[in-house]
Amino acid sequence: MPVQTHVDLVNQFLLSAVDSVATVEKIARTPEALNEALLKEIADEQFVLLSQPDDIDKELFSLFEKNEKVITYPTGEQLKTIRTGITDSFCAVAKTGSVCVSVNKYLTSAISMLTRKHIVVVDSRTIVPRPADLFSENYLEGKGLSKSFSFITGPSATADMGPLVRGVHGPGQIHIIVLD
Amino acid sequence: MIKSSMQEIHPREVANKGDKENLQKAIGMALEVENDALRLNTQTFNANRYNAIKKLNDYEGLKDRARKIKEKSIENLPELINKLTAAVQSRGGKVYLAKTKEDAAGYVKDVCKSHSAKLVVKAKSITSEEIGLNDSLEKENIEVAETDLAEFILQVSKEQPSHIVAPAIHRSRERISKLFKENFRTAQKLETGEELTKFARDILRQKFLSADVGISGANLIAANEGTILLVESEGNIRLTTQLPAIHIAIAGIEKIIETKKDFGTFIELLAASGTGQQLTTYTNILEPPLNLPVLNLNGRQDTLREFHLVLVDNGRMKMREDRDLYEALYCIRCSACMNVCANFQAVGGHAFGGECYTGGIGGAWTVGTTGKLENGRFAELCTGCSRCIPSCPVQINIPHLNTVIKNRLIKKGEPSLQRKFFGNFSVLARFTSTVPTLSNWAANFYLSKIIFEKVIGFDKRRNIPRFAKSTLTKQYQNYKRDSSIREIESNASTKLILFADVYTNYNNPHIGMAIVKLFEKLGLPVTLSKVMEDGRAAQSQGLIDAAGNSAKRLTRYLLELIADGADLLFAEPSVLSMIRYDYKKFVNDNRLFLKLQNNCYDPMEYLLKIVKEGTLNVDWLKERITNRNIKIFYHGHCQMKSIGIGNSTPDFLEMLGFEVDISIAECCGMAGSFGYKKQYYELSKNVGKDLTKQIRKSQVDGCSIILASGNSCREQIMDELGEEVYHPIEFLHKVIG
Ligand code: SF4
Ligand code: SF4
Repeated sequence: MPVQTHVDLVNQFLLSAVDSVATVEKIARTPEALNEALLKEIADEQFVLLSQPDDIDKELFSLFEKNEKVITYPTGEQLKTIRTGITDSFCAVAKTGSVCVSVNKYLTSAISMLTRKHIVVVDSRTIVPRPADLFSENYLEGKGLSKSFSFITGPSATADMGPLVRGVHGPGQIHIIVLD
Repeated sequence: MIKSSMQEIHPREVANKGDKENLQKAIGMALEVENDALRLNTQTFNANRYNAIKKLNDYEGLKDRARKIKEKSIENLPELINKLTAAVQSRGGKVYLAKTKEDAAGYVKDVCKSHSAKLVVKAKSITSEEIGLNDSLEKENIEVAETDLAEFILQVSKEQPSHIVAPAIHRSRERISKLFKENFRTAQKLETGEELTKFARDILRQKFLSADVGISGANLIAANEGTILLVESEGNIRLTTQLPAIHIAIAGIEKIIETKKDFGTFIELLAASGTGQQLTTYTNILEPPLNLPVLNLNGRQDTLREFHLVLVDNGRMKMREDRDLYEALYCIRCSACMNVCANFQAVGGHAFGGECYTGGIGGAWTVGTTGKLENGRFAELCTGCSRCIPSCPVQINIPHLNTVIKNRLIKKGEPSLQRKFFGNFSVLARFTSTVPTLSNWAANFYLSKIIFEKVIGFDKRRNIPRFAKSTLTKQYQNYKRDSSIREIESNASTKLILFADVYTNYNNPHIGMAIVKLFEKLGLPVTLSKVMEDGRAAQSQGLIDAAGNSAKRLTRYLLELIADGADLLFAEPSVLSMIRYDYKKFVNDNRLFLKLQNNCYDPMEYLLKIVKEGTLNVDWLKERITNRNIKIFYHGHCQMKSIGIGNSTPDFLEMLGFEVDISIAECCGMAGSFGYKKQYYELSKNVGKDLTKQIRKSQVDGCSIILASGNSCREQIMDELGEEVYHPIEFLHKVIG
């Protein structure tokens, strides 16, 4: 198999993510660019939850964090009614357009399953070719092997009621922001 | 309120198909009520699967690896259970190994009671159905909320699952809408998929937010790390395993593999084989108890997460010792074998299934986990068409499991005249062929048809197979005698021998002769073998010993011919695939088996091969075709497709310049003798509908001739359309001058 360059991987990921019915954009790796992209995505919301990033440089969120819509320590009531939330992801998969989200992180787990819209920020340097690479020491320094996580591939969906419906128990919308 | 027929015959009432009447009733119910939704949904899954496996880089390689991993895991199961127990305990989780289903359900109940649980949210788990968990919790006044939408539907309708991945696959949107309207008082509109989904979701979200305990299953468990793989599309598994502080996972012991490093082999394979996705929406890799703060949105004061892994034996260790049924333990529950199965597409798991395990693989599982052979009677619905074998990601020989169940039912004292009749075709053929005119006359006499139906269950609406006036052996001898004058010049490097199978010899000698004559025209002289029984008919009735004896005799004979430098041609694909695939079980020496595989051919496959090798010049052949302006409809035989030569006939025909429409039906529905049986006539006809619909459409588009390689396929199509159907070789013989 030909070796994929970084650019190939990123491009393949962008295409696969669209195939999985997520929306996706690639932006510059700066606090300003991230702030702008996130504000656009949360324009309709009163408030949003932000999970403390630790798989991605915290500095990048410094501008956005100051926005008054952002809640980082929600109450139980806020969690129950939350519509939109933002998390980082420690890895993404080029072939399938999946983002890998840590499960052992308090708000990351909650946001990625309770919201209607999940915005995920992923570092393009953490994109791996195939899902199986998460279970190999050769990628991400074996990080995939040491974690509880979920591959999230597009919005939650069901065909149990007849036609395909998106947005069941999990988010009906996934927006992925790739940091170049 | 109008009563639907569904309510008159409720699937639960026919769930126990231990006796024949119930099995019959279930087939009738399914054909009448569930058929349309089943067909649409299974065929959608099946088509998506074909697309998804095309995108897997290394499908066959992944299957091989998956198979090896499962083989090794089941072999080392006791050791893996110990390792797994240690791994989970080291993280503070608890492991309980339950011998029986009562034992398993009892443990879960105790855990729930110890936390004073009032409400449990449950993600889809067949194993929990197997152990009858809901009943035992509800008896303790613990409410169980099924959170998978399909399971939610079944909880409302009180039905058993009809499919292992999509348990409500038998219900159309209309029937779900009707069900909800009858059962819920609400002003909400409940018509579209969106409305129904939102309605169920809102109910279940409240359950999630207040549940005390979450119960899940597991797709795979890694012993070394204690890691659980759980795949899903809806998100209910994530909520079940992460919202409540207490998580119980229930899994059969066969789900254990050695290490999570092997998860990579399974996740894409499982998604592609099951729902036809590249990866299931949520592919969850969990190492519980999770190191995740408890949200306590339910108002509880739980501070620590607690995890219980309930490993269920319930007959599995015994299956492991069973020299045939052990193979079922490799199953990773993807459902490909159901979606690809023509009979399953027509009747689903309410007829072709047990209380919780459905389809071709369901027989072995039902027998294994209930310990009752009769419960696996629905294995009768497996025709042995073999379409599931290449679709199974762990390469289980599913029809063999069903043959074994049929065989054990016979040995338990249930031989029937019908089985004997269909299983011993050659004896009957030899006897009646001595007086073909008389037997054909008698066969079509209405009274004898009625007697036939009464005595052996041969449906009187079918034509009894006709015996030719003179056998292939005789016709061939006469032909040779007449043609000794025109000694043909051979340009073949190998000897070619046509195998005189029983059916071709007694019923279809014209096809045998067409092969001989066509090959001769191409400068390839063909001689004829002895007439011998191959064992296919016996095997399809579960008469394994008889099949094995025939197989051994025939193997010896064929190997002699091969040793003599011959390549062998087979007119009947079911016989060819019996030898190229099923004989593996009967021939112990793999080297010899490979010889059979490499030297036995379908005649069209053979021609394509020698064209590719350059021995036969395709341009020369094309010039001799009198009319190439013919559009053909071709239906490949199911077993031919399964041994990988489904495309050779259409490929060859296209190479010769014909336009070919190819059938997309997995099976014609006749499947050997299946469709002749009175009890399966309606089912067989129903399955055949897909094929005849496609042919009609193709005829509108200009197709003028129908070809099918298999004898029973030709019968089924002729019966339905009243038109002649030919073997591809007959056609070529006609058009090549
Ligand atoms: S062999 Fe054919 S009938 Fe039997 S389970 Fe497989 S697909 Fe179904
Ligand atoms: S038997 Fe094979 S195809 Fe059928 S569900 Fe199991 S793994 Fe899938």
